[in-house]
Amino acid sequence: MLQPPRIRAVRSIAVLALVGGLLLPAAAPAAAADPLILRVGTDQKLETLNPWHSVTVADYEVFQLQYDLLVSFGQNLEPSPGFADSWESSDDAMTHTFHIREGMKWSDGEPATCEDARWTYQFVLDVVASETGYVGSGYLEPYLTNTGAKTVTCSDANTLVVETEFPTTLLTQAYVPILPKHIWSKYTQEQIGDAEAEGFFVNEPPVVGSGPYVAVEWEPGQFIRMARNDNYWGKPGAPDEVIFQTFAGSDTMVQALKSGAVDYIRGISADLWDALAGEPDIATVEGFSNGYSYLSWNTKGNSEGYNGSTSALSDVAFRDALGYALDLDKLVDATLAGHGVAGDSQVPPYHAKWYVKPADRRTFDLAEADRRLTAAGYTRNAAGNRVDKDGKEINLRLTWPDSEEEMATNAQFIQGWFKELGITVDAYVTEEGKLLSDLVGPGLDGTADWDFYMWGWVGDPDPMSLLSFFTSFQIDNLNDSFYANPRYDELFELQQRATDEAQRHAYIEEMQEIFYRDSPYHVLYYDNVLDAYRTDKFVGWTNQPPEGGTPIFGYGYPGYLALIDAASVTPEPTAAPTEAPTASEGAATPAPSADGGPASGGDNTTILLLAAVVAIVTVVVIGLLLSRRRGAGPVEDE
Amino acid sequence: MGLQYTLRRVATAIFTIVLIVLLNFLLFRAMPGSPERILLGRMPGVTPEILQQTRERWGLDRPLFPDQFVAYVASTAQGDLGFSYSARGRPVTDVLLQRLGPTLLLFGLGEVFAIVMGLALGAYSGWKRGGVVDYVGNGVSLVLYSTPYFLLGMGLLLVFATGLGWFPTFGMSTAGATYASLVDRLVDYGAHFVLPLATVALGLIGQYAILMRSSVIETLGEDYVTTARAMGFRDGRVLRHHALPNAMLPTVTLVAINLGYVVAGAITVEVVFNWPGLGTLTVDALSSRDYPVLQGVFLLLSVAVVFANLAADLIYGVLDPRVRT
Repeated sequence: MLQPPRIRAVRSIAVLALVGGLLLPAAAPAAAADPLILRVGTDQKLETLNPWHSVTVADYEVFQLQYDLLVSFGQNLEPSPGFADSWESSDDAMTHTFHIREGMKWSDGEPATCEDARWTYQFVLDVVASETGYVGSGYLEPYLTNTGAKTVTCSDANTLVVETEFPTTLLTQAYVPILPKHIWSKYTQEQIGDAEAEGFFVNEPPVVGSGPYVAVEWEPGQFIRMARNDNYWGKPGAPDEVIFQTFAGSDTMVQALKSGAVDYIRGISADLWDALAGEPDIATVEGFSNGYSYLSWNTKGNSEGYNGSTSALSDVAFRDALGYALDLDKLVDATLAGHGVAGDSQVPPYHAKWYVKPADRRTFDLAEADRRLTAAGYTRNAAGNRVDKDGKEINLRLTWPDSEEEMATNAQFIQGWFKELGITVDAYVTEEGKLLSDLVGPGLDGTADWDFYMWGWVGDPDPMSLLSFFTSFQIDNLNDSFYANPRYDELFELQQRATDEAQRHAYIEEMQEIFYRDSPYHVLYYDNVLDAYRTDKFVGWTNQPPEGGTPIFGYGYPGYLALIDAASVTPEPTAAPTEAPTASEGAATPAPSADGGPASGGDNTTILLLAAVVAIVTVVVIGLLLSRRRGAGPVEDE
Repeated sequence: MGLQYTLRRVATAIFTIVLIVLLNFLLFRAMPGSPERILLGRMPGVTPEILQQTRERWGLDRPLFPDQFVAYVASTAQGDLGFSYSARGRPVTDVLLQRLGPTLLLFGLGEVFAIVMGLALGAYSGWKRGGVVDYVGNGVSLVLYSTPYFLLGMGLLLVFATGLGWFPTFGMSTAGATYASLVDRLVDYGAHFVLPLATVALGLIGQYAILMRSSVIETLGEDYVTTARAMGFRDGRVLRHHALPNAMLPTVTLVAINLGYVVAGAITVEVVFNWPGLGTLTVDALSSRDYPVLQGVFLLLSVAVVFANLAADLIYGVLDPRVRT
């Protein structure tokens, strides 16, 4: 039936209006009583709410917001009250007493007492003594075992006593979350530690914790929503909720910050970060990394059981000479776009208290490298190639894991520099899993079939772990260069037990000297962390530590509690960030119910929408088929 | 439609799926590196005993054929694709299902929009060849067709989300939002939907329009169309009943091929809008080397393509009697 064009037009407009009306009303379903939410974007997703399995930055950030450490970290990384209010050690520093806060409660209202702390620490000790020897990803137990913790007891409901095998000051640095015994003791070690075990404890929201925020909603791979814990023992934070949002792409994350959809973004690439400078209401922050990227040598060379390509690898003089052939500033410029610092010590400058710059730091000087190689007995043959002491030409293999793409740039430069010295470098990337098995030495049934390779390490608030990678007891474990030096081992134990800070500093200084001189690694650079945040929704962003730190993603949670609702500091929105910490105390809006709340059920919507799509498609298909029928009917085509 | 034709198509599809399952097994076993090392990562304190335990518990100490293969086929047949490494304690099937909905929704609806608009535009352009619509439409189609999703999406995002602030920047809904009513919820979802959907639809319209246009032009030169015109039928009737049914055939193929990718999505669109679908899951699984999830994604995608092709064959059978034998 033919319709007048006007009616058809009116109908089309009506359809358009309908579709438009459904879709157009802009973004936020805002209402006056909306909770004040701190939205944080990361490129690493939250993988687990079970803290023993933590691996990603988001895993750690979430667990340390919802669980207290026994002793936490302050704005200057100093020990500050956590699950324990105060603490002291005996004169021999082998008996340590922690006073647990009285009247403290878990987020579900159960009393939080010494028994919870004792259970958690005992769990770690039991795990380490068990046949498996580790729990989850295996990263948290060493914090306690490094202190020599031997027994854990409660002398009363609020007093925890830890006895250690040797004197230590490190119990205040133990990065072990205190867990609610009434929840966790229902599960076996296997159910807590093994993700594929029958009845694995996922720790689904709502999570019971003692920290300022606890997880209430989790869409794996997308976001985790944490609500204020009304039972938190300290001053409540300004945000009612904290949401960590995962982004698949850095570009979108930056756009989200610009449009105000997120308030803080972590770990952006250098070009995007540079472009953010000068944007209104956005501040950028460049944090020192508590870690470094390195070039590791197979220091066992081609000795029995090891398969380095030349004996020169195990010669300190050889490695030292090649240190002069590395232009680290060039690498910082080329690989990190200048956002980093050329490396030297295994203790990054982030540890201002412990870092010692080498007195005779190597500078880039190919002539010096050449001179030192020749002096050490590595001369060139007629073809101009460097030969080792067995008369064999030196051809080195350099590799790096595929997870560290930017290392390819480093490799190109290193190849060029070493070539000048008559050393050919075969550079190639290796799949991470394969690299891990290639690196292994005979102690783990491996062949150590490699020469030198690049990767990175990240440290803790205490330099202990970064120092440990070069002790001989870590060979076949985390010591991937097979470096062994009795004096270094001795110093490691001495510093571990030193209770006098100046004394410990002296030990650690000597360890840094030995490391730099013997060069089991060449530390390439300390890569900076590039973050950015908005200043129009929250103020009070405070770096931890003040020099070279970032406001959040540090240790403990002081950065979150320092935030102030920007709307509450009305007259001068640009007030100095660290001032007026009590501004929002009374104004805090009530926390949303901690039990999941009405926001869940997104899946139902997906299903509804899907059903709508299926319905539309069905109608279209039926329509098409019908019209074909109709067409085929009256008109005989052939 | 002949039963024999249908059976033959279905048999081919099943055979292809069997091959895919086999290939999927071999592909991931051919990867370099020892799986137990990938499982344990850079974990401190890995001893030979722990390595051995890990091998035993994952059945890696048994031979690839037949033990591991039989176990793999048996569990795949039961829909058990193993556990995700990175989403600890969650089966791969759960992870996949959670992401399947959003992708189907986005690309399903995008396809529908693109098909309806693209075919209409193409048919009209072809019919009124050389007209203004043809001139402009064909140009725009070519530009859209050759623009990568990533660029198109980023452009829309910059203009309409960051710039004008009309639409949200990312995701499928506002994380952590509390909705007063179902309408509020739908409005929020709808607002999140607009830009990704526009990207997908715009990216696809071009190819449909171009193909449909040339197909219509070709058909219009056929004798039977001339005959129909000579018989005095109105233009609209000639187009709808004589030209279009034949011009549709190549388009059905294209639609079917594209439908296979509805499940795959366009990874770049999902990444640009941080859409919680299979595309972002794939990127994520790659970067966290979550092999069980990758294996699951591969299986799902290849099976989807096989089914889409099967559907195309069957629909072709309905539309074009010549292929039924």
